[in-house]
Amino acid sequence: MAAGLAGVFDSGSLMPHGFCLLWQPELLALHVSSDVVTGLSYYSIPVALVYFVRKRRDVAFSWVFWLFAAFILACGTTHLFSVWTLWEADYAAEGMIKAVTAIVSMLTAVALWLLMPKALALPSPSQLAMANQALHREITERRQAEERYTSFFNNLAEGLFVIAVRPDGGFVLETLNPAHARATGLDPARVCGQPVQDALPADVAAAVSARYRECVAVGQPIDYEETLDLPVGQRVWHTVLVPVRDDSGRIVQLLGSGRDVTERKRLQEELVQTSKLATLGTLAAGMAHELSQPLNVIRTWADNALSRLHDGVLDNARTERVLTLVSEQTERMGRIIDHMRTFSRRDSNGAQSFDPAHSVRSAVEMVRHQFGLEDIAIVGDVQEGACTARGRPLQLEQVILNLLSNARDAIVDDRARRPAGKAGRIEVTFGVQPNAHTAVIGVTDDGGGIPPDILSRVFDPFFTTKEVGKGFGLGLSIGYGIVDAMGGRIAADNVDHGDGRRGVRVTISLPVSRPSQREVEYAHA
Amino acid sequence: MPEPFHVLVAEDEPLAAMAIEDFLSRKGYRVTLAVDGVDAMERQSADPADIILTDLRMPRMDGKRLIRELRAVNPKLPVVIMTGYLSFGPEDEDLTGDAGQSLEVLRKPVSPQVILDTLERLLTKG
Repeated sequence: MAAGLAGVFDSGSLMPHGFCLLWQPELLALHVSSDVVTGLSYYSIPVALVYFVRKRRDVAFSWVFWLFAAFILACGTTHLFSVWTLWEADYAAEGMIKAVTAIVSMLTAVALWLLMPKALALPSPSQLAMANQALHREITERRQAEERYTSFFNNLAEGLFVIAVRPDGGFVLETLNPAHARATGLDPARVCGQPVQDALPADVAAAVSARYRECVAVGQPIDYEETLDLPVGQRVWHTVLVPVRDDSGRIVQLLGSGRDVTERKRLQEELVQTSKLATLGTLAAGMAHELSQPLNVIRTWADNALSRLHDGVLDNARTERVLTLVSEQTERMGRIIDHMRTFSRRDSNGAQSFDPAHSVRSAVEMVRHQFGLEDIAIVGDVQEGACTARGRPLQLEQVILNLLSNARDAIVDDRARRPAGKAGRIEVTFGVQPNAHTAVIGVTDDGGGIPPDILSRVFDPFFTTKEVGKGFGLGLSIGYGIVDAMGGRIAADNVDHGDGRRGVRVTISLPVSRPSQREVEYAHA
Repeated sequence: MPEPFHVLVAEDEPLAAMAIEDFLSRKGYRVTLAVDGVDAMERQSADPADIILTDLRMPRMDGKRLIRELRAVNPKLPVVIMTGYLSFGPEDEDLTGDAGQSLEVLRKPVSPQVILDTLERLLTKG
């Protein structure tokens, strides 16, 4: 075997390839030059491939380039060795080189086919170019959109701001638009990016942070009015907060809009005051009667006592009785006057915690006697001390008074249409819903009801069903505004009492809380 | 001694009614008190008075209706009204018209002496 292998490599018995060409110089020159040029060219290709792979380290399947380099290097070597075998008969060595070339070629061929699907999946340069173009377009569009929204943010007259919600629950005033900066007097350069407690005065920061926490807690847009002391002064704001969530659902931002409603509130208050005076006007006749009653008692008793004095029949016991009665009656008059004075006073105090049931009772007591004289009974049990609302107690009293006055008018008008002289009945109810968050006040009359097409318009300003000169048409719409400002709702429905009587029920729902222990004690005191 | 005049006082404020009753009784009148129009109608039919002294605003039946019902029985019945605020409108023509001869209106607060003078005038007129 060793001898056989040695025999193969012993080239002594073989002829060089030149013999086959009969050593013709032209043929030799042709073969030598062709093989040398081919071989050198083949040698240069792997150098280029290796150079390319080393320069472009991101190229896919770089090992294939190395395989190609080896395959072409082997091919080049076979050509150069063909030149050698023209003169030296080293055919075994040439065969070995060809064998190596065959193996490398085969590996390359197989690898190439195996790689084909993956290579086809690679995007072509034209595809890449198209994708690139699409990307450019998208970037341009996004940039335009961003510019448009930035322009909205910067140019809208509505005050806008963004609050970042930190994972620890802290709030950062991310940014505010120029309109909000102007309205609040805050300097964006100083406050943007600052934690809320650093960007705003302490009491303002505490107030707004409570609202932000509320918005995060409910996870839904909230909408409220607040009075804040800002660099521009004390203003009333109508603020809307909208929570923004990240992919995991955590609230990461609050988008806020704020509108300065100070002026609107002032006008609204003017309107409330105007309507209050109008209510007083309509009540004035009744008030005159209320006052004339005790005045009349005093007059008759005093004059009778004088007459007895002249006739010599005034004893000490009677004198004492007369004077006590006069004193009591003036006290009764004083209470009526006080109530009117309180009611007509401009309600300049801000919102306060109060018992809405007390306002309801006050309103009822103000007109109960007067209505009784017109044969209109006010019934219903209103218990105080069940809950606390926020707002202005006198304004709520005004609303109830207005509802009672409307109910009375409806009953009187209904009576005029059917002069059977029936007794009128107004039911006033007050209840707190089991969840203790809502108080419901009901005022129900039996004055015949409201035509359905009119029912939906009764809260419109200046809408009235009363004849000219009776009522201003402001009552219910003002009532709507007052209840709305307290966060409540007011609605009117027709009701059928079932015994032939029909009427209107106005329902007011107010957000309330349970009274604190201190408030309970105070109320009992 | 002549029979004293009988006056029916319809007044829903009992204190005022008491003082008027005391005064008129001392001046020789027989006084019947009623707390409202319905009460007054019942008392008048049970024991008719010569003259009526009434408030206008009262529960159950107001003064105007009381006067109409009383006049339906006795058109010439003299009436004195004591009122805090109400006045008469065109719809009260039947009270203020021809029959108004025997009707007087007093404004509250009213002195018992003025009431007495008015009662005397109306009663002597008839």
